[in-house]
Amino acid sequence: MSMEWYLVLSALVFSIGAGGILVRRNPLVILLCLELMLNAGNLALVTFARAHGNQDGQIFALIVMVVAACEVAVGLGLIVAIYRRKLPVDVDELRELQG
Amino acid sequence: MSLETWGWMILAFPLGGTVLIAFTSQILPSKVHGVIGTLAIALAFVCAVGALFQLQDLGEDERQVTSVAWDYANTVGVNAQLSILLDPLAIFMALVVSGISTLIHLYSVSYMRSDVGYTRFFAYLNFFVFSMLLLVLAGNFFFLIVGWAFVGAASYLLISFWFRRTTATKAGIKAFVINVVGDVGLVLGTYFIFKTTGTLDLLGAFDAASEFSHNDTDLVAGCILLLVGAFAKSAQVPFHTWLPDAMEGPTPVSALIHAATMVTAGVYLIARMHPFFEQAPTAADVGSVIGCVTLLIAATIALVVTDLKRVIAYSTMSQIGYMIMGVASFAYVGGLFHLMTHAFFKALLFMAAGSVISAMASEQNLDKMGGFKRAMPFTFACMAIGGLSLAGVPPFAGFFSKDEILAQLITRGGWFVVLAVLGYVGAFMTAIYTWRMIFRAFYGPPVEQARELEDGHLYHAPEPTNPATGEVEDIDVGFPGPDHQIAEREWTMKVAMGVLALGAIFAGLLQVGHLTSVIHDFLEPTFHDSPYYDELEPSDGATWGGWVAGTVLSLGGIFLAWQLWVVDRERTRVTALRARLAGVYTLFSHKWYFDEIIDAVIVRPFAMFGRFARNVFERVVINGILVGGPAGAVRAGSAAVRAIQSGFLRYYAALLLVGVTGLGLYFLISAS
Repeated sequence: MSMEWYLVLSALVFSIGAGGILVRRNPLVILLCLELMLNAGNLALVTFARAHGNQDGQIFALIVMVVAACEVAVGLGLIVAIYRRKLPVDVDELRELQG
Repeated sequence: MSLETWGWMILAFPLGGTVLIAFTSQILPSKVHGVIGTLAIALAFVCAVGALFQLQDLGEDERQVTSVAWDYANTVGVNAQLSILLDPLAIFMALVVSGISTLIHLYSVSYMRSDVGYTRFFAYLNFFVFSMLLLVLAGNFFFLIVGWAFVGAASYLLISFWFRRTTATKAGIKAFVINVVGDVGLVLGTYFIFKTTGTLDLLGAFDAASEFSHNDTDLVAGCILLLVGAFAKSAQVPFHTWLPDAMEGPTPVSALIHAATMVTAGVYLIARMHPFFEQAPTAADVGSVIGCVTLLIAATIALVVTDLKRVIAYSTMSQIGYMIMGVASFAYVGGLFHLMTHAFFKALLFMAAGSVISAMASEQNLDKMGGFKRAMPFTFACMAIGGLSLAGVPPFAGFFSKDEILAQLITRGGWFVVLAVLGYVGAFMTAIYTWRMIFRAFYGPPVEQARELEDGHLYHAPEPTNPATGEVEDIDVGFPGPDHQIAEREWTMKVAMGVLALGAIFAGLLQVGHLTSVIHDFLEPTFHDSPYYDELEPSDGATWGGWVAGTVLSLGGIFLAWQLWVVDRERTRVTALRARLAGVYTLFSHKWYFDEIIDAVIVRPFAMFGRFARNVFERVVINGILVGGPAGAVRAGSAAVRAIQSGFLRYYAALLLVGVTGLGLYFLISAS
């Protein structure tokens, strides 16, 4: 089976994730989209590992998963904190850091 | 003790006195400080005498000794050492400075007694003497300049001693600014000389003076710059305007500035730098002419001034003009001899004037004085001796010394004879204005103050006023305190004036024509390299002719003054003369408009430039461009960057995406 299809799928998923981050306002959904992008990357890494015939890409994909898990923990924690403070769960409303 | 030790001790005592007085100002009673100050200077004088004896023990060829205490800096060929040069000229000056200053300190002990600033006064006074001694003993240009600047600073402190008087502080600033002009001249002149000689050491530089060609451009420029320094310190035209204003200081300060510590510095400088001036006769001629011009201008102003102290101030200017004219014409013996005798009689005149001003309760206007002769016999005697000496009546000191200068000028010949003749014209005017002052203050009907003094009561003004403006002022600040001291009642003042009176009578005998030649022989080692030194010994004709002319002119001047101000009680002739010569009188009484000219040519353009700088340069260039430019750029840049920070998360994400995509595309394209 040719590798191109995996890469096309990876690019597709990555684009969906990126588009989601740009258009969605709910931080929970944005986090989901981030996960999509990371996993699209993972898919690409694994594909290239297979194509090159060594395990570096697979190991790297594992590390990315660990990082993604951590990131999800922090991100969800933030969202819960925002929710607890009765702040709007909407990234466009949370823009106090503007210049 | 060795010569070097004596020499260093001359400097150590006044400096020690200053420091001691300053640090014990809160601890010891103020009366002690007067004693400390006087003793310090007296000990310096003793050391100068010790150095004199040691110096005379040396062979005539060895009487130039440089003593180095330590190297202050020795880099890139500049050897700035703390060194003193002990030679006859330095010792001569040290003797005059410390000797006269001792007497002035002694006088001040009484005169300033009730002033609140008594301690401060003596600290300044000692510092002044120390600065002047540093100047005359300095063994290289570096410390000469240091001493030179110290003298300027000390004069500023003392002229504006009564610092709550606006007139006094202004006079102090004026003196300081003009002196700084002179300092700049001295420093630049030193540079021009250093450029060729390559050493700051005085003796070394003198030896290298022959490296200059005759009238070398650099050397002429350097010598003229040195002259600027000398003119500023010695109050020569056109740098003289600070001197009459310096009369704002207490009278002992005036005596110190005029007799011992300040105005003589210019004369000393020219005499000290004689190897350079002799190589650059053009510069020396400038000095001679300016000296002659100054002596005439000052004498004419002194004829019409009505302030007692200012008459004496202008007479100083005039006499310094003689000295500058003398030393710049290479008549060193005459110039330095006159410096010494002048120190005696000028200090004496100022002390007597101080006594009169005390009796007048700080009034200095001659128009309001009169008839003090019977009330103050001792003061009158001193004033008369000083006046006779200043006018040049034989056998008083001023007669011989002034005549020595003029006789040497005649001996030099050429156009110097013209200068000498103008000098005699000046001598005639000197006799008139000196005795005009004395006749007006001491003769005529006694004024109220004199009558009170005759009854044994010293006059006190109902309220203290500033003599310059007539404004009522605080007794703390103006004239020396609530009590006034006159010479008749204070032994210290009497001793000081008595010693000076003896000097004013007898000091002239040191160098009388061909009879005695103490000054000439003593100073010989300093001037051993000067061909003019022996060449300009006055000829018999010049000596005798000068004596006759001097006697006739001085006595004639005094007689004229007697006719105009004593015999003619109503002063009708003076009034008539003034009316007939109204234009000349206005010129003289406005001091030849020097203040106005300097004001218009220098002060106002500078003030205008200053205002321009403040209003235009400061606001537009500094504030607008230099400061506002970078600030504006940063502000605009930060505004642009701030605009990106919208706070929208997706906006950042889009930027990131675009950026990474762009970067990726760039690498892809450049890789293919």
